[in-house]
Amino acid sequence: MDIAVEEIAGGITKVGLRGRFDTTGAVVVELPFNKIVTEKQKIIVDLSAVNFLASYGIRVLLVGAKIAKAKDGKLVILCPENNVAKVLKTAGTDTLIPIFQSEGAAAEALAAA
Amino acid sequence: MASVEARRLVLRNDLAELQRLAGWIQGWSDAIVPSSDVSFAVQLCLEEAVANVIMYGSPKGGTLEIAVEVGRDDGAWVALIEDNGRQFDPTTVPPPVPPTSLDDAKIGDVGIHLMRSFADHMHYERRDGRNRLTLRFVEPQASVRPAG
Repeated sequence: MDIAVEEIAGGITKVGLRGRFDTTGAVVVELPFNKIVTEKQKIIVDLSAVNFLASYGIRVLLVGAKIAKAKDGKLVILCPENNVAKVLKTAGTDTLIPIFQSEGAAAEALAAA
Repeated sequence: MASVEARRLVLRNDLAELQRLAGWIQGWSDAIVPSSDVSFAVQLCLEEAVANVIMYGSPKGGTLEIAVEVGRDDGAWVALIEDNGRQFDPTTVPPPVPPTSLDDAKIGDVGIHLMRSFADHMHYERRDGRNRLTLRFVEPQASVRPAG
């Protein structure tokens, strides 16, 4: 699994994840991901290139969102593909971490936070 | 459609084995499972079931054998996960309480809930000192993977 970080307008950090966000993938990205959410305030996690999500991946996202919130930051999810979105909904994650279909809408929500 | 004979893989209780499990399923599922949704569900449920056995099946750290078998039966894909770990029936685990806020949200506890939601049927039995978990996935007629 790959992780890429990009600073975009509005003081927002966009974290692009790519590949299978299963236990194996989550273990790979967990440490760099936690470092980013600890250091940054406004975070978009782009899941558009994630083709699989399992419970360990959800754990990483939830821990990240909790870390961000604990320091008055915010984390949102961008563009999960159909089955990945279904996993997020089934797990109830969509009620805890806002999900957006466009980067503009995600950035707007973070600007308002 | 390619052969749909049952396929079998034997794993140890080591988290690194999950990568082998994923590679094994991907090696044949795209070619023979017409629905990408069913393929996703099979992969998700096997990952969750095997991860549970690896993480909790042997509290004292002994080596376990986890056998995974996937085949087709009566219009459905059927996955059997058999292990010689401690007795555990995931079908009796109550569904998690939906969290109302990020602060209240518990970390973990969703794997079995995901299995229950993505499989059409779950059946557990303890036989000859082994856990046997059977999951069925019904192939919807209308959700055939597009050609090409």
